[in-house]
Amino acid sequence: MSLVTSLPTNQAIPRTNGDRVAVFKSAEKRSDQWSQLLISVGENRDRQAFAQLFRHFGPLLKGFAHASRNEGWFPGLGDDLVQEVMIKVWNKAAGYNAEKASATTWIYTVARNCRIDMLRRKSNTQHLPLENEDFWHEPDEETPISLLQQKRSEDKVQSSLAQLPKEQDEILRKVYLEGKSHAEASAELGLPLGTVKSRVRLALQKMQVIVSTESQE
Amino acid sequence: MNNTSQFHPDETMLLEFSAGTLATAPSICVSAHLHFCSKCRNQLLRLDQVGAQLMSEAKPLELEDDAFDAVMANLDNPEQAPAKSDVKVSRFPFSVDKLMKNNLVSQTWKRLSGSVDVARFETGQDEFEVALHKICAGGKTPKHDHQGLEYTVVLKGSFSDENAVYREGDFLIREPGDVHQPMGAQNGECICLSALSAPIKLTNPLGFLMKPWLRINPM
Ligand SMILES: [Zn+2]
Repeated sequence: MSLVTSLPTNQAIPRTNGDRVAVFKSAEKRSDQWSQLLISVGENRDRQAFAQLFRHFGPLLKGFAHASRNEGWFPGLGDDLVQEVMIKVWNKAAGYNAEKASATTWIYTVARNCRIDMLRRKSNTQHLPLENEDFWHEPDEETPISLLQQKRSEDKVQSSLAQLPKEQDEILRKVYLEGKSHAEASAELGLPLGTVKSRVRLALQKMQVIVSTESQE
Repeated sequence: MNNTSQFHPDETMLLEFSAGTLATAPSICVSAHLHFCSKCRNQLLRLDQVGAQLMSEAKPLELEDDAFDAVMANLDNPEQAPAKSDVKVSRFPFSVDKLMKNNLVSQTWKRLSGSVDVARFETGQDEFEVALHKICAGGKTPKHDHQGLEYTVVLKGSFSDENAVYREGDFLIREPGDVHQPMGAQNGECICLSALSAPIKLTNPLGFLMKPWLRINPM
């Protein structure tokens, strides 16, 4: 008996816009609602799904922009970033691969790149031949870590972030949200660079983002 | 590509790359390494998950009343749509490819010494000099030391120095004061990407010939 014939085919499943019961081929295992919505935007140009993403991520993106303490910051950055990121989300959604990252992680990377590029354009008069986005162009033949592993590490990050000691949490926020380098964080907090690095390291170990025994170079 | 690089950027660099706080030149080098190294790509994904989680916990701010309509009005606006990417399969990382195109690298190779050619990139910053170096098969480079930091990523072929053999994807950092004399592998030319924060000082008698080429030109 052929195994193939016993498998459900995606073509047989009726799809309607915004119907989250429908099974989409690239999301058989990633079930969080944002990823489902993003897939639907990519596959069906689903405006309702996009509107839901907008309502959830728009205010977060504005908050993310306002958290920046970088050179080039301007009061309208938040609103501009929301516009630019959400339009990119619409335009790039077809390239979203749910097996590689959750929608939240994917949208974070778009937002981070956009934020840097907007700030650079504002503070730099030089012609910039590369946009930050160019650095994240992944090769196609990537073998991602499994969805299960990703899910586990996402859960671990989420649960342990809330329990980090204040001093570790503070530095992570400076780096990711305010956009400070380790050196800038060390100057602002009046701490030696080594202390900043080791606090970050401890935080990442606690979240199991890095393994403590791993030695790199 | 997924070959197994031996030398990787350290976790601080990857974190700064993930958070977007790493300067342009080292970011180019990290992105080049990621092209070759699935281990670091997975590490980066985990770091991005941290950023994503922090972003989701950021204080949401109320949008302007017309924000949604303004975005909807711009969906499918052909001017906003990304240019259809003519992605051809390249052995080089995307960022390097783009720099090579922008800088017409094929026309800008300059002889640095008997066995080394260099092509410098315009990258819109002047903290680092970003360049490709091509060492011919078996070529010996002049012995030199570093006044500044140098990041190197092997893009093609391999080279060696006193300590090790470096292959495609390997990511190296030379600290100020390091002296080394890289040598191209016998079996073919080696192309490296490098970002250098200050001029190299040559330590052999041929040095005075090279110096003008090694000077950082304010571009
Ligand atoms: Zn690596």
